[in-house]
Formats: sequence, C-alpha cells, structure tokens
Amino acid sequence: MSEWHRVCGTDEIDEEDVIQFNHGDKVYAVYNTEKGFFATDGICTHEHQELADGIVIGTVIECPLHQGRFEITDGCALSAPVCIDLKTYPVKVENNNVFIEL
Amino acid sequence: MSDYQATNAASSGVVVDKKHIKQLSRRSDKPGLIWLAQWLGFLLATSYLIHSSQNTVWLIPAMFLHGIFLTVPAYSLSHECAHGTAFKNRTINEVLFWISSFIYFEEPYHRRYAHTRHHTYTWINGKDAQMPFETPMDFKGWLLEVSGLGLFFYELKVFFENATGRFSDITREHTPESELPKLQRGAIIFLSAYATLIALAIAGYKWPLLYLIIPRILGGPVMLLFTLIQHVEMQENQVNILNSTRSFTTNWLARFLYMNMNNHVEHHLYPMVPFHQLPQLNESIKDQLYEPDPGFFRTNLEVLSVVIRRSLGKSTKAATIRQDPSMINS
Ligand code: FES
Repeated sequence: MSEWHRVCGTDEIDEEDVIQFNHGDKVYAVYNTEKGFFATDGICTHEHQELADGIVIGTVIECPLHQGRFEITDGCALSAPVCIDLKTYPVKVENNNVFIEL
Repeated sequence: MSDYQATNAASSGVVVDKKHIKQLSRRSDKPGLIWLAQWLGFLLATSYLIHSSQNTVWLIPAMFLHGIFLTVPAYSLSHECAHGTAFKNRTINEVLFWISSFIYFEEPYHRRYAHTRHHTYTWINGKDAQMPFETPMDFKGWLLEVSGLGLFFYELKVFFENATGRFSDITREHTPESELPKLQRGAIIFLSAYATLIALAIAGYKWPLLYLIIPRILGGPVMLLFTLIQHVEMQENQVNILNSTRSFTTNWLARFLYMNMNNHVEHHLYPMVPFHQLPQLNESIKDQLYEPDPGFFRTNLEVLSVVIRRSLGKSTKAATIRQDPSMINS
C-alpha cells in the first residue's frame, strides 16, 4: 500500500538541482527541473553511487562517479556507462511542500 | 550496500561544499569550442609546415611537431569526451569523442567502460583496467611504454578480441553483457577505417602517411610522457587518490595540449568537473592537497633517472618528485 511522504519545502531544492531523501533503508533522489519536481531511485544503476551528488542538466541527471546519464522524467538510461533505467516515483507539490509516493 | 569504496574525494578525505562542486561542474560549450578552434588552428599551421617541407630535411621535424599537436590533444579530448565533460551539447561531445578516439587508437565504448574502472579502482592492481605497465617500472618497461609499443600491441589485441567477439575477462568485468555488441561494432568500424588508411597509403596516396600515420607514431611518445607521470612511482592498492596520483605544474602550452590534466589529482577527486574548471577546483582545494610536482620536463627526467637506476640496481629515491616509499629500494 503506497503512501505520500513529505520530502522538503519547494524552496529547499535549488532550480536544476537534486537532493537525497532517505526512507526506510532506501535512498531516493528528488529533483527540481525546468519541467517540475520528479523523483527516482537515489543510487546509480551502474555502480553504488548516490545520484544526489551529481548534476542536473535540464531534465538529465549525471552521475558524479562516471558521468552516466539518466532522463529524470522517466528514469531512462541515456548513455554509457549506464544502461539500466532508474525507477521513478510519483511526486506532488502541495502548500509549497514536495511529496513522494512510496 | 556495496562492499567497495570508489577511489575519489570521499575515499581520500577531501571535503568541499557540495554546491561549490556542482557549480564548478556546470557544463558549457564555449570553453570547449574555443579550445577546439585553437587546436584546429595549430593543426593547420603544422600541416602547412609538413606541406612546405616536403623533399627537404625538415620533413621529419615538421611531422614530429605536427605529431605532438595531433596526438596529445587527441588523447586529452578523447579522455574529456569519455567523461562527457568537454561540451554541454551531447552531440558535439560524442562526435568528437569518436574522432579523437580514432586518432588515440581506442574504440570509444571500450575506452569509456575501461575508464570507469580506472576511476572506481584507481591504481589498484588487478582491478584498475588502465594500469598499462609493470610496477615498479624499470628502464625496459619505460622504453616499452614511452615508445608506444606497449600501448599499440595492447590496443591491437583489444581491437581484435572485441571485433571477433572474444572479449577478455577484464572487458567482460567492466562492460555489461548487453553493451558488448556495441564494442564489437565499434571495433569493426575502427579496424576497417585503419585498414582503409593503410590501403590508401599502399595505393600511393601520401596524405595518410604524411599527416596522420607517421605523425601519430612520432607524437605518441610525447603523449605517453604526459600519461606516464599521472601515477608512476605512486602508491598502489589503496583508496586515497592523494597517494596514488600526481599533479604537476607546467606551462600554458602543455596545459593547453593536455586540457589541464596536469591537475590530475583534482580530476580523480571530482571527475565531473570539466577541464576548463580544473584550475578553479585546484584553487578551492589546494590546502588539502600535496604540492604538485615541479614541471613536465623535470618530473619526467626524475622518473627516467629512477627507472634507469632501478635497472642498474642502484638507489631509486627520486630527487624531488613525489614517490611512494614502497618504490624506493634504499
Ligand atoms: S556509478 Fe554512476 S555512472 Fe558509474
């Protein structure tokens, strides 16, 4: 049964940036992009690297370790060395707060 | 949770404000395009030197000079594009990645995957896929490396393995199964293109030999002197980049040819920072780093002196450059 969880205030993620959200023993990445807020798994599918340390370029997240790239909106792996897509999660904004559905 | 620690800033105890690193990592096309225009300008000038020195004794020096300006930047650009940091525009990045890797002599997919291992396991024996020579290095090893023969035969073997689908264990380790067909296709395309160049030369066309093949061979040793001092004589099999990797000071021309990779420690700590921001990154963290070694020529001369003395059974202590104690025999 999935539930909505508050991640942060909308002003706590800079434009074109990403923060990490930990819940249970899982790590998520929550993004503020030109197309709105999005969420994906927080660990790269190539090796064990937290994506929140990466950079957001438009709606692409680039992993800081080997610069693999994912499309944030659908989790699609865009370029080597990543080739496995990221799981994405629904996000909503209410009263200037960002929520993720897990 | 994985059982390894990637070799980078976190494993080396280097700390910088995250926002600052992200700021330095911002992508832009302008610095890369300016660099590219300068490179093409140098290549035009050195090509003209070759053209006007044909049938004179100056032909070989002209091809050597052209070879330096062809080969060192091709290596640097291929490396920067493998990281995807050279340009913001991904198409420009990838097109130049293929062209520069062709000159460098490595198939792009293999280059990118092998390089990921070099960053995850920097200078860790058996895991780093880009430890190209035996260590500690002796004079024979130095000759094999700097002549370019070591790299040539290694890459040729990888080309044929990948083109025929007989991938080595290390290639299978760093490349996902689903990506292997891309390596194979890339290797076939590159081998076909190299064969075409050689066929043209045999058929009597002079330009492949004059402007590409011979200059690439002659410029190779200069490129390899740059790459040699990235890690040689440094500490192996541990995760601290400050101990495994060397930065060195150098002049503007070498920094241009090498795309600022003389800041090699800084690059390994934060590989997502583009070449044009490495001097800035150095400014931000220099109080956490060792002093860079003193110059391209001096560092290389000291390395050469060490490897000769190692072959002669004499003391291998370098005069001034950084050297791991395990490399010093007395
Ligand atoms: S760990 Fe993310 S690209 Fe390698």
